[in-house]
Amino acid sequence: MSKHAKERNRRSACFRNRKPRERTEQVMKRCAAILMAAVTASAVILGGCSGSGSSAGQGGVQHVRLMVWAPSEDQSVDSGQWLQKSCEAFASQHPEYDIEFVYGVADEATAATQVAQDPEASADVFMYANDNITVLTNAKAAAKFGGIYKDEIEKTSSKAIVDSLKVDDYLYGVPFTTNTWYMFYDKSVFSEEDVKSLDAMLEKGVVSFPFTNSWYLPAFYIANGCTLFGDGTDESAGVDFAGEKAEVITDYLIDLMNNPNFVVDADGSGMAGLRDGSIKAIFTGSWDAGSIKEILGDNMGVAALPTFNLNGEEKQMMAYAGSKAIGVNATSDNMLPAIQLAVYLGSADAQKLHYELRNVVPCNTELLAQPEIASDMLVAAQNDTFDRTSILQPFVAGMANCWTPVENMGKGIRNKTVTHENSAQQTQAMSDAMNSDGIS
Amino acid sequence: MKETKQVSAKRRRFVNNTIVHVVLAILAVIWVFPILWVVLTSFRAEKGSYVSTFLPKSYTFANYARLFTDTTILNFPRMFANTLFIAICSCILSTFYVLAVSYCLSRIKFKMRKPYMNMAMVLGLFPGFMSMVAVYFILKALGLSEGGLIRLALILCYSGGAGLGFQIAKGFFDTIPRAIDEAAIIDGCTKWQIFYKITLPLSKPVIIYTILTSFIGPWVDFIFAKVICRANADYYTVAIGLWRMLEKEYIDSWYTCFAAGAVLISIPIAILFMFLQRFYVDGMSGAVKG
Repeated sequence: MSKHAKERNRRSACFRNRKPRERTEQVMKRCAAILMAAVTASAVILGGCSGSGSSAGQGGVQHVRLMVWAPSEDQSVDSGQWLQKSCEAFASQHPEYDIEFVYGVADEATAATQVAQDPEASADVFMYANDNITVLTNAKAAAKFGGIYKDEIEKTSSKAIVDSLKVDDYLYGVPFTTNTWYMFYDKSVFSEEDVKSLDAMLEKGVVSFPFTNSWYLPAFYIANGCTLFGDGTDESAGVDFAGEKAEVITDYLIDLMNNPNFVVDADGSGMAGLRDGSIKAIFTGSWDAGSIKEILGDNMGVAALPTFNLNGEEKQMMAYAGSKAIGVNATSDNMLPAIQLAVYLGSADAQKLHYELRNVVPCNTELLAQPEIASDMLVAAQNDTFDRTSILQPFVAGMANCWTPVENMGKGIRNKTVTHENSAQQTQAMSDAMNSDGIS
Repeated sequence: MKETKQVSAKRRRFVNNTIVHVVLAILAVIWVFPILWVVLTSFRAEKGSYVSTFLPKSYTFANYARLFTDTTILNFPRMFANTLFIAICSCILSTFYVLAVSYCLSRIKFKMRKPYMNMAMVLGLFPGFMSMVAVYFILKALGLSEGGLIRLALILCYSGGAGLGFQIAKGFFDTIPRAIDEAAIIDGCTKWQIFYKITLPLSKPVIIYTILTSFIGPWVDFIFAKVICRANADYYTVAIGLWRMLEKEYIDSWYTCFAAGAVLISIPIAILFMFLQRFYVDGMSGAVKG
C-alpha cells in the first residue's frame, strides 16, 4: 500500500470514530477541572501551614511542642512503647507545660547525622551514639548541658561514660546505656574458667570472630599496647599501630586464622553457625542478645572479652566502647522543657523501664547497684566490658581514616595475602594508612 | 554430490544451533540465578542472613505473612501503599509532561526549541541526586517536608524533571508524518486537538513506554525518599523499609522478610510489564513506516 493510501485510511478512521472522541474531550475537560481544583486546594494547604512554637496558654500553662526521635522499637506496641510511656510520665510530672509530643523514627546510629544535616527541621530531643558526637558539635546542633542538669547527670553516671559525651569539657547528652561488644558462648561447651582465655576456648570448641570488621579486629592490637590518638582525644598524637608490638599481633592473627577451631564471622555467618551448632562462641553486642537467647536458651553465657596468649604472655583483648545518649537540639524553640525531658529520659526511672521493656542495659549507677539488675548476665557482661576490657572509642576526626586499613588487614590475613614473610611490611602499611587521610 | 552437501549443511546448522543454545542456556542460568535465589530466600524457613546451603532446608509462607502482620516496627503495608500512591501519581504526571514536551518539540517551531533541547541534553548528563540538597531545602521552605505533604513533595520530585526526558517520545513523534497534522488542521483541529485526537492514538507504543519508565522511577527510588522522609516513618517508601531491614539490629530476624519484600515489590512492575510488553517492543522499533 502506498504511503498516501495508508494516510487516507487513517484519516477516514478518524472521522468514523468521531463519537468516542467527543466523549474523551469531555473527560479531559473534567480532568482539567479536577487538576485545577487540586492545585488550588494544595495552595490553600500550603498557606495554612504555620510555624510551631510555644505560646503561653491559660492559667500560666505553657503550650509546648516537642519533637522526639527514637528508634522504632522504643515506640512499637509490641515492645511496650517505652518512648510514649516515658514522655507521658514526664508530662504528668510537669503540669506547668501543656506538651504536644511529635514522635519520629531515627535510630541512634543515624540520628546525629540527620540532626546535623538540618537542625532546624529536626527533633528537639533525640537519641544518638557517642561516636557521632563530633558530627553534632561541628554542626553546632547539640545543646550543652550545664548547671543542675549537669550535676544530676554526673551524680548518677560513671565518670567514664560522662567523659564519652564531653567535647572540650562541655557535656552534650544524657547517657542511657553503654555501647560495646563482648562474647556470647554456649555454657554447655565452655566453663566460666574457659571463657577467660581465648586459647582455652579454642581447644574446646569453635569460636567465631568478626575478623574482617574493623570495629572488632583492633581489639588484638590495642591489647598489645597499640594506641589511637594518645588517650583517644589527642588528634596530633596520631595512631600508633606500627612497630614490633603491632607486628607480633599480625603474626599472631595469621596463626589464629590457621587454627581449625577459629572461624571468621562475616555477613551473619557466626549467628548462622550458632544456630546450626557448628559454632560455640561469637562476639557481638546486646542487639543480638534476643536471637542468641532464642538459639541457646539456658545455655547462653555472656562474658567480657577473654585474654589471649601472645608468645607466653597473657594479653587482654580490648573492645571499642562508647555510649548512647539523649541529646537536645541546639536550635530548639523550647530549650528548657527539651533539656528537662532529655534528663528525664536518661533518669533511673526511664532507664529501668527501658531495661524491663527492651532489655536496654542501664548505666545509672543507682540502678546498677540494685541486685535484680546486677545479677543479669547481660548487664554484668556489658558493664564488665565497659569498665575493664575496653577503651573509649576515639571520636576525633582522624578516626574516620582508621576503619578501612584495619578491615583490609583482616581481609588480607583471611585471604592469605598477608603472610609471616610480609607481615612487618603490611603492618607498617596499615599504620601509615591509618595516619593518612588519603589526600596528603 | 548435491545430497551430501545438503546433509553437511544441515549438520553444520545443527551443530551451530546446539552451541548457541548451550551458551544461551548457561547465560540465562547466570542471569536468572540471583533472582531465583531471592525468591528461594523469601520462602526460607530458617532464620538469619547467612546460610550454608543454596536450597533452603524447609519452606514457609511465614515471611510474607510477617511482612503484613508484624507492623509495629517496620510497617510494610503502609510503606507499600505510600509507594504505590506516590508512584501512580508521579507516573500520571510525568507521562503527561513527557508527552506534552515531546509533542511541542516535535511539532511546534519556536525560537527556544534548539537551545531548550541542548540545555535538556546537558542537564540530562548530570545525575538527578546531585540536586537533592537544594531540592530538600526548597521543599522545606515551602513547608512540604513534614507530615502528609511529604507525599506531595515526593510526587513533585519524581515528576518535576520529567520534561527533560523527552528524547525517545520526540523521536517517535517525529516519525509520524506531518501530512496527518496538516490534514487535521484543514479539518479545523487546533494544536491541542491534533495532539490528543491524532498523535496520541497513533503513539500507543511510546505512551506505554513512557508510562513504564515513569512508574518504575519513583517505585524503586531510594535517595530522594530517604532525604525527604528523614524521621517521618509514617511516610517511608518500600525502598527505605527494605534498607532498614538490613540494618544491624534487624538483619538477623528480618532478612528472609527482606527477600519476601523484594519479591513483592517486583510484582506491580512485573504485572505492568507483562501487560504492556507487546506495546513496549513496538515502541522501541519506531512508529509509522511508509
